[in-house]
Amino acid sequence: MPTLTLREPPTVPLEAETITPDVTAGLTLDAVRALPVYHGKRKLTVGDFFTVAGEPGESIELHGDLTRVKWLGKGMTRGAIHIHGHVGMHLGAYLAGGRIDVTGNAGDWVGGEMSGGMIHVRGNVGGQVGAAYRGSASGMSGGTILVEGNAGIELGMRMKKGLIAVKGKVRDFAGLQMKGGTLVLMSGAELRTGAWMQRGTIVSLAPLRLLPTFAATCTYSPTFLRVYARHLAVHGFTLPLAGYTRYAGDSSAFGKGELLVYTTPQ
Amino acid sequence: MKNRADLIIYWGGNPAECHPRHFTKYTIMQKGRFIPNGRKGRTMVLVDIRETPSAKAADVFLQVRPGKDFEVLTALRAVVKGQRVDAAAVADTGLSLDQLTDLANRMKACRFGVLFFGMGLSMTRGKHMNSAAALTLAAELNAFTKFVAMPMRGHGNVTGADVIMRYTTAFPFGVNLSRGYPRFNPGEFSTIDLLVRGDNDATLVLGADPGATMPQPAIRHLSQTPTIVLDPKVTHTSRLAKVHITTAATGITAPGTVYRMDEIPLPLKPPLVGPYPTDEDVMRRIREAAERKAHIAA
Repeated sequence: MPTLTLREPPTVPLEAETITPDVTAGLTLDAVRALPVYHGKRKLTVGDFFTVAGEPGESIELHGDLTRVKWLGKGMTRGAIHIHGHVGMHLGAYLAGGRIDVTGNAGDWVGGEMSGGMIHVRGNVGGQVGAAYRGSASGMSGGTILVEGNAGIELGMRMKKGLIAVKGKVRDFAGLQMKGGTLVLMSGAELRTGAWMQRGTIVSLAPLRLLPTFAATCTYSPTFLRVYARHLAVHGFTLPLAGYTRYAGDSSAFGKGELLVYTTPQ
Repeated sequence: MKNRADLIIYWGGNPAECHPRHFTKYTIMQKGRFIPNGRKGRTMVLVDIRETPSAKAADVFLQVRPGKDFEVLTALRAVVKGQRVDAAAVADTGLSLDQLTDLANRMKACRFGVLFFGMGLSMTRGKHMNSAAALTLAAELNAFTKFVAMPMRGHGNVTGADVIMRYTTAFPFGVNLSRGYPRFNPGEFSTIDLLVRGDNDATLVLGADPGATMPQPAIRHLSQTPTIVLDPKVTHTSRLAKVHITTAATGITAPGTVYRMDEIPLPLKPPLVGPYPTDEDVMRRIREAAERKAHIAA
């Protein structure tokens, strides 16, 4: 497994979409060092910023303060990236397979428009997790994003499929314009959850302040949640199986979305 | 809109005080080709969080609670489409469902409606999504009648900056050219976010005063990194800048073009002669000097 250690944080953002197992798998360490990265407008190499050690392989380990390092694991289809520390924007954008683990925080656009694979962030994440890029019709279309900390605005914006689960607090516009897929909010969210959603499911274990365009329909215990509960339990996310109130919306949009808000049994 | 608009809505703005000529020159007071009775032929609606002097001019004044514009606009979109909304949640915005229904009916019944939205909408919680809500509402109303939405801009010639960026890069703001082609991503490449995160190592400020309006971390980053200001006068930003180049004031000692809020370009003729170079002149000379330096280095 090649181990990349950032010598010192770059002064301006470093765009390092070449650091993915798809690119590095067949390369020698010297070839990895020679891979191009963009420091601002300058085209430099991985070796200019990172010390590269270990054996060539299907997974990559990264160390150091990567807060300004963007696009790590872009479009990867296999293997794994282990990040020890904080990481910058667009982590695992267009991810199609494989697995990314982060011990610290991650920036905005984690898993933007991903279609498969799994991203697990132990710390906080920024906004637009699993979202659609500007001008794009739909966000993530598959895969799983797990966040142990808090998440920023527009979580899962325009997502079409897949699962995002957040343990901490989530800010405004979670599930904005959602077209499908599932959001699990273990500590609820701030305002405007599910705004303009067309389809899809948002599960919240804390009460939510809803938009006027959502209507309570019933209390029920959806069977499909068992599947999600089993999938999430492996990663330490515990979902109760019963006691949800279902809200339908957003009636200003297509209106086939559902919000399942857990109500503590009396 | 002077000739045709029979429904004028101002949302989160105070044109009576901030755009004093707007009423008389473009909207409610003018007699238009298809609005022969002028003011009597038009309906004006004002939506704001407090009763400003503009409310006197309005036929209908709707007072929303601060930070509830997105909720009102979203509910309005549902009401316009005949969808169900929760009356209790609507009441939480400061308006009743009857008021919303009345406004929706006026919007659908008018021949040509205009929604002007101000900084009360675009600069409060929700920001770009509030503007998106206003624009989406106007777009969807075109299923019933002709309807447009237009922002009420704050400072001089901000529209001009948007227009030029749009026709040179295809995007109005938040553009990054570092990879050799334009990339657009507000939040990542927009000025405030770049400065707050400290992502840039130098700043060129052209005809703006971020030092007066931006949040404290952004100002701190401006003062800690090389900042170059081109401005006719001393500003908050020029005080913390490394370099301040005094330029001619456009429209006073330099010719130029300003874009009106509706993107109409207006040429300016300078009445006076001044000693300072124009912004364009300075930028061209900086570019030429940089090219010479690059040439020598190569």
